Amino acid sequence: MTVDIEKAPPPPVPPVRRTVPGGQRPRRRAGLRLPGGWVPYLLIAPAVAALAAVLGYSLVRNVLISFQEFGRRQLISRTTEYTGWDNFRRVLEMDRFWDSVARTFVFTAVNVALIMIIGTLVGLLLRQLGPVMRLVLSLSLVVAWAMPVIAATTVFRWLFDTQFGVANWAMRTLGFEGYEDHNWFDSGISTLTIAGILIIWGSIPFVALNLYAGLTTVSAEVLEAARMDGAGSWRIFWSIIAPIMRPFFLITTFLEIIWVFKAFPQVYALNGGGPNRESETLPVMAYVEGIGQNQYGTGAAISVLTILILLVAMSFYFRLILKQEKEQDA
Amino acid sequence: MKHKLVAAVGVAAMTAVLAACGDDGSGGGGGGGGEGGGGADSITVWLMDGSAPDAWVQELNAAFEEEHGVEVNVEIQQWDGIQERVTTALSEDGTVDVLEIGNTQTVGYANTGGLADLSDFAGEPWTASMLDSAQVDDTLYAVPWYGANRVVIYDRSVWEEAGAEVPTTRDEWITALEAIDENTEAEPIYLPGQSYYVLGGFLADEGGSFAVEDGDGWAGGLATPEGEAAMDFYAQLQSFSDSPTDNDEAEPQQSTDVVPNQEVASWIGLGWEAAGATAAIEEAGGEADFGYFPIPGKTADELGHVFLGGSNLAISERAGDSELAAEWLRMATSQEWAQRYVDANNGGVVPNRSDVTASPEAGSFAEAMVQPVDFGFLPPLTTGWTNVETEPNPIKELMTRALNGDDYQSAAEEADAEITDRINRE
Repeated sequence: MTVDIEKAPPPPVPPVRRTVPGGQRPRRRAGLRLPGGWVPYLLIAPAVAALAAVLGYSLVRNVLISFQEFGRRQLISRTTEYTGWDNFRRVLEMDRFWDSVARTFVFTAVNVALIMIIGTLVGLLLRQLGPVMRLVLSLSLVVAWAMPVIAATTVFRWLFDTQFGVANWAMRTLGFEGYEDHNWFDSGISTLTIAGILIIWGSIPFVALNLYAGLTTVSAEVLEAARMDGAGSWRIFWSIIAPIMRPFFLITTFLEIIWVFKAFPQVYALNGGGPNRESETLPVMAYVEGIGQNQYGTGAAISVLTILILLVAMSFYFRLILKQEKEQDA
Repeated sequence: MKHKLVAAVGVAAMTAVLAACGDDGSGGGGGGGGEGGGGADSITVWLMDGSAPDAWVQELNAAFEEEHGVEVNVEIQQWDGIQERVTTALSEDGTVDVLEIGNTQTVGYANTGGLADLSDFAGEPWTASMLDSAQVDDTLYAVPWYGANRVVIYDRSVWEEAGAEVPTTRDEWITALEAIDENTEAEPIYLPGQSYYVLGGFLADEGGSFAVEDGDGWAGGLATPEGEAAMDFYAQLQSFSDSPTDNDEAEPQQSTDVVPNQEVASWIGLGWEAAGATAAIEEAGGEADFGYFPIPGKTADELGHVFLGGSNLAISERAGDSELAAEWLRMATSQEWAQRYVDANNGGVVPNRSDVTASPEAGSFAEAMVQPVDFGFLPPLTTGWTNVETEPNPIKELMTRALNGDDYQSAAEEADAEITDRINRE
């Protein structure tokens, strides 16, 4: 069984045609149609200008810096020294960079998968709950979503503190051995796992609440009909909810990939990319090499490469979304 | 349509955040005179946390304001992350006029062109051993302010209870710590895993160094028998501590966060840290009963080597008003105020001028501190040493790995490669 996505009602026929059957274009009532000429550009101009000023400028500067030898001396004495592709060559020859690329991909894949699975389950749960519990759950989701990242990260750092952390206490209380002063940040994997928990915890509300909002548009008749036909919950999810909500899952996964890929404060504030630089994802590495060690050119080159890598990785996704839109338009 | 928009916004947000990682450095503190100097009605002075006693700063600034009619804004900076802030401040006009810079970092900043030439000050009777860290090619870019060494600070009552004696050799030191471990509940010594200047002292005891000259450049000196021996002794001491292996003495701040809150029988610290711990203990209603002894050497004939820590004062090349800045610097480091500075620290600093004397009381921190004056060491005073000290610091990473049981030699080779890479960078 296939269900078409969001059977939207056909676009209303512009009233203009009906009232003026003669084919003559009414000038006065043109406001009802999409304006032509320069008006659309005028309307979009503030947004474009703001984007260009805030994002475009720093992006262009960043690309320029990535082609410069730019360290502490150049910054303080305000000199500009272009060195061509040197920074990129150096970065691409670094083993540390490729380690970081691999780490970032694995970190993103695992976290996005978990965010989508848990977020979907919580979204479905929201739908099943009674009004009171639904309110409680929604509120706790909103609170998690509203928590400032650095504050949350600091709390997580304390939860997993070696000497006084509640995580060690909990493990000991549950009867596990070896959690007397266990250092949760003594390896890259352990550090990234904690960063992952933090990111997943912070991202689930977005997925869950949006899914819940989307689910309210699925008509109860369809579900009831399916149930009458003997479909179980599993079947209902995969055959009805998943296809109907497909655009939602595509877009949300897309956004989550971007968010996890670029997650900086959660990883950096937990352990600064340590120990021994083993938890450096690409954005953290760009910061550590660039700002941390006053090698702004190298840091800029890493961030430019990060953007390119992400664009290439996402191009597959763009195609999927474009295809989806074409199907819908057809 | 909706999807395209979402996608576009998503991509824009992504590029923005990534791009933001590349450049930008937010401004430091405000203040300073206007651009280009002339007619400023205030100057901004950056001092490091713990460097200057409040009373001395206030009296000095009151005297300066009276003489010049100019307000002095003193902004206290934390050591953690100081390099980023100094770099940013030196690149901006009028952010800071006079600033304190650690003696291992001064040469690096002088090389960037960010510090003003202080040749006018060259005629003063500076303490000779402190000048190396303040000049490049015989040109003065900063003036010495104070020197400070680390000593062992111990809790007299705990040591007495354990029957431990003040040691004169490393072996006696270990014996004393064992006695405390057996006879008391206290932590024999608090030693964080990454106190790398303490390690540097042990390395100097062996005749080694963090980095050695290698042809035209420098190379890391940790993957050596000396390095391994120094780390072994550090690990032996650290085994008496409950501290994790991945922290340093500043985070958590050992003097105020650790020592007052735990029963610590001894720790290695600076004069201002000892004062801070005493104040914190007294504030909590306790009584600090600290004794002090210099870090013991291998034999009773020689003391352990200690890092000749200290700070210089420099003027930013982009100071709002460099003349007023020079006036303040001249006053602060004059014989009168330098002497008052030493007195305000109860003699707990090495004076910056030969015409200033420190007369420490018997049993004081200062008395223990001035003993190893012939057993000091400094890291290589090259322009690239600052790069080694940025986080993540390869020496600290090595220490944690060694303490956690990684193979020393291979970890040290990695650290050396990183040190070599960074120290030869300008």
